[in-house]
Amino acid sequence: MIPETSQTDGRDDALLVETSGLTKRYGARITAVDDLDLSVRRGEVYGFLGPNGAGKTTTLRMILGLIKPSSGTATVLGEAPGAPAGLARVGALVESPAFYPYLSGRDNLRVMARYSGVAPSRVEEVLQQVELSGRAGDRFKKYSLGMKQRLGVAAALLKDPELLILDEPANGLDPKGMADMRAIIRGVREEGKTVLISSHLLGEVEQICDRIGVILRGKLVAERTMEELRGREGGLLVRAEPLEEATRVAQDLPEVEEAQVADGMLRITVDPARAAEVNAGLVNAGVRVSELRMVERSLEEMFLELTGGETV
Amino acid sequence: MGASFMAELLKLYKRPAVWVLTAIWLAFVVLFAYALPYAFFANLPEPEVPEDAPPEMQSKMQTQSEAASEQLMSQLYPENMAAYVLSGISGTGGTLALILGALFVGSEYGWGTLKTVLSQRPGRLTAFFAKMLALGAALALFVLLAFVAGAICSLVVAGIQGAAVGWPPLAQLLEGLGAGAVILAVWAALGVFLATLFRSTALAIGLGLFYALALEGIVFGLPIPNESFQDARQFFLGQNSGFLADSFTGGSYNSPSRHQART
Repeated sequence: MIPETSQTDGRDDALLVETSGLTKRYGARITAVDDLDLSVRRGEVYGFLGPNGAGKTTTLRMILGLIKPSSGTATVLGEAPGAPAGLARVGALVESPAFYPYLSGRDNLRVMARYSGVAPSRVEEVLQQVELSGRAGDRFKKYSLGMKQRLGVAAALLKDPELLILDEPANGLDPKGMADMRAIIRGVREEGKTVLISSHLLGEVEQICDRIGVILRGKLVAERTMEELRGREGGLLVRAEPLEEATRVAQDLPEVEEAQVADGMLRITVDPARAAEVNAGLVNAGVRVSELRMVERSLEEMFLELTGGETV
Repeated sequence: MGASFMAELLKLYKRPAVWVLTAIWLAFVVLFAYALPYAFFANLPEPEVPEDAPPEMQSKMQTQSEAASEQLMSQLYPENMAAYVLSGISGTGGTLALILGALFVGSEYGWGTLKTVLSQRPGRLTAFFAKMLALGAALALFVLLAFVAGAICSLVVAGIQGAAVGWPPLAQLLEGLGAGAVILAVWAALGVFLATLFRSTALAIGLGLFYALALEGIVFGLPIPNESFQDARQFFLGQNSGFLADSFTGGSYNSPSRHQART
């Protein structure tokens, strides 16, 4: 399957993560990741989407140097995966958050701070950032799944990283927790940091990501900006009166491929870049236009289309 | 390396299992190495003297019995402390070190914390050597505690018996500490190896204990006269630990069959 690539794609000096032909095989039969070319640009929130077992976590583990690829290459912040110089600028939460059960949340972070070589004062800062200060003295084994997830994100933030890699960070979070997680990720982006996030929660990705890559059976099938994905169908929705007259006028416009009424609005198949010309044509014909916007598909619609109906 | 070592020390200090093992170790030294032997040596059964034996024979047998009791009791005196404690280290101490080594490494696999650690900063080698350094520090502390506990217990025994207090030479003490550390390190290395091999704590401890408590005993109990088989036995951990400990006493506390005695 040849991946659909973004029109704005191409070599970029500001790529923080770049993989080329990345492949991971387990034995002769299982290919978890197959010839993956992925790129994450500086300052963006990149969503890594795919059905369960598509190869998302395996890819992230290779990017972090936790496992070795069977073939292909990857660079993270210009370094080989797992190189201490690169890891010093990367914060990561991969798979479920794993910490020492006999230690408190605070002590777990103190341990990780020592491994990372960061100042102990960062521990309290990140605890506040993920709103876990009140329960930081409790042992990790007593934490709920949501609290464990927050602690995992706190550990990832310890190094004040340039690149934050989060694998399913919303897992186990209640709605408030999810909203908090979104706020944390947005806050990180506003600081100019880059975030690579994998998630099966399409709504979450839709709300926070600038660009997404879709992986299916180990292959990257699409890598696009959110705008490109939503506007790809190429259409406009117009609220106009009288609707019948608007439909007739629109059909006569040279740039319009098709115009039809749907849910009380005029749905026009046209390049969204020609919206001004369509509007002018309708208004000049005496049609009153009260609303005109691009047709936006939900991410779920797009995802199902790209993956041939496989669910996440 | 230094920062990773400090991280390992924090984990070590806060881990209840380490303190439980320490308590078991101290209890062993106090109870099984000193208290129970003392109670036994102090209450050796009187020799059965025939009623019709001449008085001088009865007296001689009584004297021999008291001398034997005193010889056994002298093992517990401060002057023999280094060698005596070392004989305990080569047996039970080794088993506890094996468990500690397996816990140190196996738990990281069981809890999945290895990936959390490695995704921080240290490379695999740095993380591993920092862990081994912390394990070494823990083992050194084990040996030191055993010697301190042994010294206190031997002092108490000497006080009760009214014996003169004399300590082993400093050189022997230091050699004893070093030998104890080497013995524990070798057993702990076996625990680390098994835990790494099986990515598990339970299996590593189970197999390690089977080896320490059963396998060596079975092998040494087999009456196989084959020379190669006899030669192969010299590579067993328990046997070598025993030899090292015996080198401090000339084997007076433990016969070559120490292995069977331990198992």
